[in-house]
Amino acid sequence: MTKTTGVVGRRAFIGGMAAGAAITGFPHIAGAQAKAIRIGLPTILSGRVAILGTSSRAAVQLATQQVNDAGGIAGRRIEIVDRDSKGRPDEAARVTRDLINNDGCEIVIDGEASSGAFAVHEVVRDLGVLCLHTCSETSSLSADPKLFVKTAFRCARQGIHDAVAGGTYASEISKAKGLKKWATCSPDYAYGRDNTAEFVEYVKLFDPQIEVVDQLWPKLFAPDYTESITKMLQVKPQAVYSALWGGDLVAFIEQSNLYRLFANTAFFSGGLGDPPVLSAIKQLPPGLNTAYRYNRNYPANPENTAYADGFVKIAGHESTNWGWQNYLATQFIFEALRRTGGKTDGGALAAEIKGMTVKSGFGVDGNITMRESDHTIINYPVAWGRTVPKAPWVEGFQAVEWAKILELEQQWKKSKGYA
Amino acid sequence: MNLDALAGCVSSSACLVTQISTALIVGMLLFMVTSGLSLIFGVLGIINFAHGAFYMMGAYFALAAYQLTSSFAVAFLAGALGVGLLGIVFERLVMSRVYGTDVLMQLLVCYAMILIADDVVKIVFGPEYKMMGMPDAFALPPIELFGGFIPAYYVFMIGASLLIGLLLWLGINKTRLGKTIRALAINPQMVGALGINTTLLYAGVFGIGSLLAGVAGALAAPTRTLTPGMGVSILIESFIVTVIGGMGSIAGALIAALLIGFARAFGAIGCPLFVDGLMFALMAVVLVVKPSGLLGREPAR
Amino acid sequence: MMRPGLARDAAVCAAGLALLLVLPLAFPQPALRDFLIYVMAYGLLAMSLNLLVGLTGLVSFGHAAYFASGAYMFGLLMQSGRVSIPVAIVATVAGTALIALVIGAICVRLKEIYFSFITLAFQMFIHSIILTWVSLTGGDQGLMGGIPRPPFLGINLNEGTALYGFCAAVFVACVLLMRQVWMSPFGYALRLIRDNPSRANFVGIDVVRAKLGIFVFAGAMASVAGVLLALFVSGAYPEFGFWTTSGEAIFMIMLGGSQLFVGPLVGAFLLQLLNRTVTIYTEHHGLVLGLVILLIVLGLRQGVGAFLFERLARRRQARR
Repeated sequence: MTKTTGVVGRRAFIGGMAAGAAITGFPHIAGAQAKAIRIGLPTILSGRVAILGTSSRAAVQLATQQVNDAGGIAGRRIEIVDRDSKGRPDEAARVTRDLINNDGCEIVIDGEASSGAFAVHEVVRDLGVLCLHTCSETSSLSADPKLFVKTAFRCARQGIHDAVAGGTYASEISKAKGLKKWATCSPDYAYGRDNTAEFVEYVKLFDPQIEVVDQLWPKLFAPDYTESITKMLQVKPQAVYSALWGGDLVAFIEQSNLYRLFANTAFFSGGLGDPPVLSAIKQLPPGLNTAYRYNRNYPANPENTAYADGFVKIAGHESTNWGWQNYLATQFIFEALRRTGGKTDGGALAAEIKGMTVKSGFGVDGNITMRESDHTIINYPVAWGRTVPKAPWVEGFQAVEWAKILELEQQWKKSKGYA
Repeated sequence: MNLDALAGCVSSSACLVTQISTALIVGMLLFMVTSGLSLIFGVLGIINFAHGAFYMMGAYFALAAYQLTSSFAVAFLAGALGVGLLGIVFERLVMSRVYGTDVLMQLLVCYAMILIADDVVKIVFGPEYKMMGMPDAFALPPIELFGGFIPAYYVFMIGASLLIGLLLWLGINKTRLGKTIRALAINPQMVGALGINTTLLYAGVFGIGSLLAGVAGALAAPTRTLTPGMGVSILIESFIVTVIGGMGSIAGALIAALLIGFARAFGAIGCPLFVDGLMFALMAVVLVVKPSGLLGREPAR
Repeated sequence: MMRPGLARDAAVCAAGLALLLVLPLAFPQPALRDFLIYVMAYGLLAMSLNLLVGLTGLVSFGHAAYFASGAYMFGLLMQSGRVSIPVAIVATVAGTALIALVIGAICVRLKEIYFSFITLAFQMFIHSIILTWVSLTGGDQGLMGGIPRPPFLGINLNEGTALYGFCAAVFVACVLLMRQVWMSPFGYALRLIRDNPSRANFVGIDVVRAKLGIFVFAGAMASVAGVLLALFVSGAYPEFGFWTTSGEAIFMIMLGGSQLFVGPLVGAFLLQLLNRTVTIYTEHHGLVLGLVILLIVLGLRQGVGAFLFERLARRRQARR
């Protein structure tokens, strides 16, 4: 075996040298003085939720095109480097490190969902670059002070905001129509359970007569919901809340249609408002209640329409919720870069972004603010509307007052020990 | 645990009808997937880890055909035959080259097949959620039976799966070809020595096994969301079914698939959170007590 | 337990460690360190699995369970803030060995594909525990808030180079330990069990106990791999214990060659390099990776490492 080990030693050496050369010799290396400002976009581009990544990327590309066509920022062009994490958190961490350490990205837009976002968060804590989380809605990411990272921000809707808005909207309908018997049907994972618990908490707070008679927890990414649907038929609730989203929600609604579930049951959904979900459903029942995720007609203003058209041109389908959140993130980043004169130091950019208000077609009153205290956005649309069978699929959006949301959010933070 | 609810359901005809139909809906589709897996294992002695990818391809083929022709019959045939053909190609070009090597080689090429299929689907059909939609012929109100409800499409789905299962059973047990296939499973050298073209038979059996996955995909397409990667979860479930029912046994697959269907349907009422744990536990118990499964043969060695 | 060749193995390992420590000096970019830490963590996982697959002929589909257990136990111990890093590592290895002992006692009685399936079942069981025990593990979001790395014995692992050096040292120590087992009489008994179990029984080897022994050892080594990765990414995630992680480890073994001691490490290196390079240039890495696998399996019909090794041996013979 002498020879074996000898060979091994040499091979390891050659391999190591090859690795060294390969890893550090990639053409993507960009020095600090490179002309373009590189923004890294770790996201999910394959598997069941690939649309999360492809629509995040499309929105970021759209914004980048626009700013580059206008001459870049401080004489420097913006370049996007996207990379697939395959939905695996350790891969997300690796990819993010690579983007920063190897590809010369000086800013990160984190297009990861749930656990991936926490993984990227830790990388950012280590490396100190500016990072905007654009897809994670988990409240604790920004609300829990234990997780606070100076240069990390959330530019996405937040669970607790939606819960207050949903509770307000749903309780008005339940009081008007006397919907007392409720059931829930949500995916069995952290987001699904938290989202549902928070919705139930607020809808009961605003309408104490509501009673939740049953809660169903199908698995995340379950292909078939028949057993949950038939179980619901047995319980005969007057209203159902669901935190299902994406392809799961499409399947749930089509399968529920077969049982005519929505004929005598009011339906409230946290995830139905995404246009690709709505358009995938072949028989969209009218009158389902859904939280706003994105809509080209709301808020109704020319900037929003221009964004919607621009997005369709790149992606080939209507924008998702992830789309506008990523587009907005680039607006924050570009504005911060303008203010620092193109300096990409994480601390300097973070100092600009915290508390920043940008003009935006998505804002309730034309503005969206990055709150200074906990690095998360407010004043984005948290409206609810009702479905119609044809495009634009959701109409009659009713906004919920941000003042009320903020007040209840503060109480919630106190109860959680966050504030 | 909620035994009261379970007792309440069993004593009400409406609930009983609905839940039994649920069990059949879940179980029979699972049976369609698993029967193909089991057939291939029984005859060829290999585990087709790419079976889930075939199921996905079946659904996408059906969707494409339905979008072109708006005919569910054509969509169904496209899903079934398209995947059957794909299976034969895969067997000839790839799988046949790893017969007789260890299981890891087979695992690897199937893994490669899954990766390729997922990406090809994403490139051709896009990453968005796709839904075929209910064909007009089935756009009827659910059928009422003893106060319970069964959607018309599911009645068709259960019937079609039963019929195909029956045909498969007759084909294997009552025809000359079936006899040859059974002989092939036990002693391939002997069958070859009798002048029968075993290469062709292997390809044919693999094709039929894949076709069954295609059938399942096509039957699922009107009610389930199509996405790249949709084959993974069904693969895991059908492995559990195969192991419980006995690898290589079609009847075992039927029994185990229905067992899972009933556990899911009534578990949803009695103990909703333990259904999955129950599956793994059942699988572990079966493996420890009778590794060959409920109806599986003991290995010949 | 001195055996001939130990001194040489130790020397080779020392040289390997020196090389690992020198490389970042030659190429100072942090990207290289990151890359090598991943290769070491996954290499260790694949090498430990190969003690079962290549050495004993036990094809486990559930090895990632111990990888995950290592990452989670270590992460939880460190987050508790009561222990130092070395103590946490020792406790994690011991704890994982205990889990492997319980699961292994049931599994090693089964043969062939049934062994594979029951290990898969246990892995999925552990994965579902991680997902459902949210209060402890954080569920699908993983251990949040980072894993603290308090300094010990004057070593501060928050420092990138120190962390890398520590990982390299632990990795080389584990490799040396596994090499010991690979070359020991116990290792040869396991080869006999792989090739001819009834004969092994006949010559007086307690087959079940031997299998259980290597199962527990392999699990313990896999937990060290989990510790390294958790230390580096500063978190632990349920995906560590999912079947895809096990599948990847098997792929690394096949890529490198299961009958070579370092085969899985070569495989881990190649897969990481491939994965890294392909994802940079295309989002259709599944397509590329799938085609590469098909080429290797159908073209070489053995691992790349094994193939190269044979070529080298043949050429050397021809020269003689």
